[in-house]
Amino acid sequence: MKKLLSSVLALMMILSLVACGQKSANTDVAVDAQSTKETFELALVTDLGTIDDKSFNQGAWEGLTKYANEHGISHKYYQPQEAGTNAYFETIELAIEGGAKVVVCPGFLFEEPVYLAQEKYPDIHFILLDGEPHTADYSTYKTGANTMPILYQEDEAGFLAGYAAVKDGNTKLGFLGGMSVPAVIRFGFGYIQGADAAAKELGVNCDVVYNYTGAFAATPEAQSLAASWYNSGTQVVFGCGGAVGNSAMSAAEGKNQQEGKFVAKVIGVDVDQYSESETVITSAIKQLATSVYDGITMYYNGNFPGGKTSTFSVKNDGVGAAMDNARFETFTKAEYDVVYSDLKNGKYTIFNDVTDYNPATALKDLTNTKVTFIE
Amino acid sequence: MELLYFLIQQTLLFMIPLLIVALGGMFSERSGVVNIALEGIMVMGAFTSIFFINLTQGTMSGNIQLILAILIASVTGIVFSLFHAIAAVNLKADQTISATALNMFAPAFAVFIARIINGIVYNKNVQQIEFINTFRMTEVPILSKIPVLGDMLFRNAYITTYVGILILILSSIVLYKTKFGLRLRACGENPHAANTAGIKVERIQYAGVMISGALAGIGGLVFVVPTSTNFNATVSGYGFLAVAVLIFGQWKPKYILLASFFFGFMKALSNSYASIPFLFALNIQSNIYKMIPYIATVLVLIFTSKKSAAPRASGIPFDRMQR
Repeated sequence: MKKLLSSVLALMMILSLVACGQKSANTDVAVDAQSTKETFELALVTDLGTIDDKSFNQGAWEGLTKYANEHGISHKYYQPQEAGTNAYFETIELAIEGGAKVVVCPGFLFEEPVYLAQEKYPDIHFILLDGEPHTADYSTYKTGANTMPILYQEDEAGFLAGYAAVKDGNTKLGFLGGMSVPAVIRFGFGYIQGADAAAKELGVNCDVVYNYTGAFAATPEAQSLAASWYNSGTQVVFGCGGAVGNSAMSAAEGKNQQEGKFVAKVIGVDVDQYSESETVITSAIKQLATSVYDGITMYYNGNFPGGKTSTFSVKNDGVGAAMDNARFETFTKAEYDVVYSDLKNGKYTIFNDVTDYNPATALKDLTNTKVTFIE
Repeated sequence: MELLYFLIQQTLLFMIPLLIVALGGMFSERSGVVNIALEGIMVMGAFTSIFFINLTQGTMSGNIQLILAILIASVTGIVFSLFHAIAAVNLKADQTISATALNMFAPAFAVFIARIINGIVYNKNVQQIEFINTFRMTEVPILSKIPVLGDMLFRNAYITTYVGILILILSSIVLYKTKFGLRLRACGENPHAANTAGIKVERIQYAGVMISGALAGIGGLVFVVPTSTNFNATVSGYGFLAVAVLIFGQWKPKYILLASFFFGFMKALSNSYASIPFLFALNIQSNIYKMIPYIATVLVLIFTSKKSAAPRASGIPFDRMQR
């Protein structure tokens, strides 16, 4: 009996493996690079999340596949087996062995792996999103001629979202961040300053509660935190950190149902998150796909901007607040276009130094806004 | 008062899944099988039942859908826990290892299958399973009119809260008032004696593990529904937290109730203390509140380890030949 059982189990495992193998051969994911002679010119190495994280990986992959499909170029993504510089570096090497000419690395966690890889593989080109290559101890920053680091001005995206929220008639805001990494901090600082700028123009006072949850996950903790804010009168929460936003949406839906009207709202992040919940009024977005697409286009046109950092901001339409599916009550596209061009023309200056992550102490020039920072 | 009601309602969101899963763990451990696969079983239970909700969205009323989902979660939990039962009871394998294997297997499996099904149904290759939360009851008719208690338990509540309380009551009755409960406890304390008395130890242990699977599966669903708008193949370590609740609760239903309330209340407090004026004025970091349940668990273990109520045979594979 025991023998029969174990052999049946073993058979099941083998069969399921076979089934997986056949399945993946048909998809983009493709089979292991070593077991085939096929090569993939464009490669993406994923960050901690998966390829469909609705954030960095997915955005970068969309840009890459868009170019690849338009021009019929072979492409593939590689997912590191674990986190850490070594694992990332090995995965980059795997991509290069697989024939990659351009490797896209989404996320600041790739700063060190790219620093190592750009020296070892001078013929391969790297596109690094959200970071600049440096050594482990941050003592040496060096961007090789084969590397294109891309930074985003998250503070400008946050500014636009915060400005729009206050102009739309909200005065009690919340910021629910993920980990206090530079990108999240810049989003948050911009958000507060945008709210302040709008409050100044309207002559009202506004309150911002501010917290870093310490993770990029949807947890009961994050939900409970957002629910407690909505319960004490907060109208809009900027869910800034991957799935943290989903917890904010869940809390907002609960509050709205309880009140029977649309009183609790959410601002999404990175990509337009309007489809994830009815409560999302807008999203502070980075044009991830566009920047990757542009980078690859320049590589194939022979003018790869290696050796220097490219910044995507409102100046080159690299960041913004999503207006296409926005659910504002009064704030219009025309008003958005005005503030957008004002920001472009330098009417507003945004403080975005992230050495102090606490906005209550870092932002000194706020006039109409009171920030409550929750440790 | 408003604030207290809010705090209690938030506590319930943390407490009910912990309570249900810890009770599940109790059945397994009291039958003599350690089950730290609770986390993995929660993931599987949540996975199938959330998929059910996703696919049947809009075809039936919220509460009927939720009750069907609970049934599906429990069946999934039972089936998945059978792997642990086979390894632990039939093959006499190390129970920690087989449980760990299940914990690692569950999220990977959920991601893999979710992508395939999402690909077929919605033509997009994503791992998140989205759902619309139609299960929150603004108030329960009649019962919400009860002073104090009505505001605490019967407003902004989920039907799962009452399912949790029902499970608690049933568990106490089954464990202490039935023949099966007596046999279950006997197998956890001294399986050889139980065997000599004519009890089929293996069968009882199978039953214990399967009950824990059913409850952990339900716990997974109950955990996910109020916290997010999609299921992303994780229950954020609440399965392991339930093991802590089980130990803190000394393997007894009434103490497990208290332990889960304590854990849930501290969790709720650590997140909403900022909107409670006098607590915010104290200026204690939320991390302190977050630490308290764990420090308490360690203290309880220190003080009770001499006469710990852990089932004696828990974790030791039952072998007829051994005397």
